Amino acid sequence: MNGYRVGKRLIGAQAPVTIGWENIPGVEGGPLKQFIFTWFQPTALFLLIAFWYYAPNSIAKVSTAIGIGIGFKILLLALEWVSPRYESWRLTWKELVTDLFYVGLGYTILNLIEHYIGSDAAIEAVQHGFDWDKLTWFTGLPLLVQAFLISFIFDFGQYWMHRGMHNWYPLWLPHSVHHYITQLNINKGAVGNPVELFLIGLGIGGFFDFLPRAALLAGTIGLAIGTYQHINVRFNTPRWWRFLFNTTEHHSLHHSQDFEATRSNYSNTYIFIDRIFGTCIDGEAELLGMEGGRRMSIREQMTYPFTEGWKTIRERYSRPTAMPAE
Amino acid sequence: MNARLIDWIWHIRGSLTLAPGQSSEEALGRLDPLFRQTGTSHERTGDALTFRKKDQAAQDKMSIFDRGALWIERDTAGPVLRYSLTSRALLFCFLAPLLFLSFAGLTIAVGKFDTPSAREAPEKPEKKDAALPQHWIDKALGAPAPEKPKKDDKAKEDKRKLKPTASFVFAGIFAFLYVVGRVLEDRLVKSLFKRKLAGS
Repeated sequence: MNGYRVGKRLIGAQAPVTIGWENIPGVEGGPLKQFIFTWFQPTALFLLIAFWYYAPNSIAKVSTAIGIGIGFKILLLALEWVSPRYESWRLTWKELVTDLFYVGLGYTILNLIEHYIGSDAAIEAVQHGFDWDKLTWFTGLPLLVQAFLISFIFDFGQYWMHRGMHNWYPLWLPHSVHHYITQLNINKGAVGNPVELFLIGLGIGGFFDFLPRAALLAGTIGLAIGTYQHINVRFNTPRWWRFLFNTTEHHSLHHSQDFEATRSNYSNTYIFIDRIFGTCIDGEAELLGMEGGRRMSIREQMTYPFTEGWKTIRERYSRPTAMPAE
Repeated sequence: MNARLIDWIWHIRGSLTLAPGQSSEEALGRLDPLFRQTGTSHERTGDALTFRKKDQAAQDKMSIFDRGALWIERDTAGPVLRYSLTSRALLFCFLAPLLFLSFAGLTIAVGKFDTPSAREAPEKPEKKDAALPQHWIDKALGAPAPEKPKKDDKAKEDKRKLKPTASFVFAGIFAFLYVVGRVLEDRLVKSLFKRKLAGS
């Protein structure tokens, strides 16, 4: 495999990838299917933003957002069923159970931990002693500007956290488990070692709950863009969308079996952050995972960072064994 | 206790009558490709085949099974393929509701300790009401005016307290998924063996 030269980097020397939008196939099918899978993403984004912009205060609540989030994901699961991007990424019963197990952890035990010792607790402490008058300049901005700023600041933080995970071994260990997924489906974003799920749960999201509508709008932007990172659906994504936003193509490359390709496309929502810092690669991959696509069991996903970390420590600090003389 | 009373939870057993004239050698030969998958090892001894799987690929048609045995028996109606397959995924899904119910219990228990008196942070004195700002663009576009934050301490406390609802919902989801998986995977593996035996 020769790979592709992208800047100074050689991408795809270890595993097959496709580089460049011109080489990525479009949606196959009749005009109705073409229309739906071209306009679905922008329409959903526009409608969700319009909903949160105009929803009466009695409806604009977190519980509504959770309901919409679940409904949207069920709709996307149906799209995966109707029009899979790759047959080799088909959702099976076992994959669904595994994915939902991690989604469940996020909604329950991790939520509990986050609430008491994670960023939620820290944010509550900060909010308690904060002089809100100092933020009047922010709350006086147009709502969509507030929402964009909240989601951008959040994504900027996530970009560096994610990039850190790929560049610093102690952070890579918990994140590596997520890279053992071998296909992309709607709920695959939740799959990972709980330590990592706790780390990525750390964020400033809850800080903005004093601006309920802007925070909910920011959340919906993340939902209507970031969700497509892990999806087995082919879209004719508009050129402007894929320039600004992360797509399943970008993220499949990030999950490819090629090491260099995984060191790209770190953002969750705004791929232009990757463009700014030179880590964006436009392309896609079908063969995903680590160790040639070995699928990890849930048991190993739970223990891997600790067993691998222990192995590394032992190797580093074990005494060199004396070599016998000839 | 007879293990058979409960091991249906993670075992799938079944049988298929072989086509007239189909030898056991031919039948197991046709099933053989199913066991030449990544992470699968298998062994054939006479009229029986045993297999083991580790880190099976997501798209492996038998990915939910970790080990099993298939053998040919002579019945009055002719030769019959019988199989007994073990699935940790089914057992895991069967037990998952218990895990989520324990999370619900934990959430309730933690909530009991997390009473307002347990929080020592003193409330800040309330400031006088000031209208929340709204940009003229939002006003012109018709967005609802921002609502003043409620001072209702009870509502605030309720919001701060975690509820076990999600844990109960996921316990229900996994119970449902188990029933679906137990029925679906039984049928899928039977039809897979049937197709392979027919040579398609």
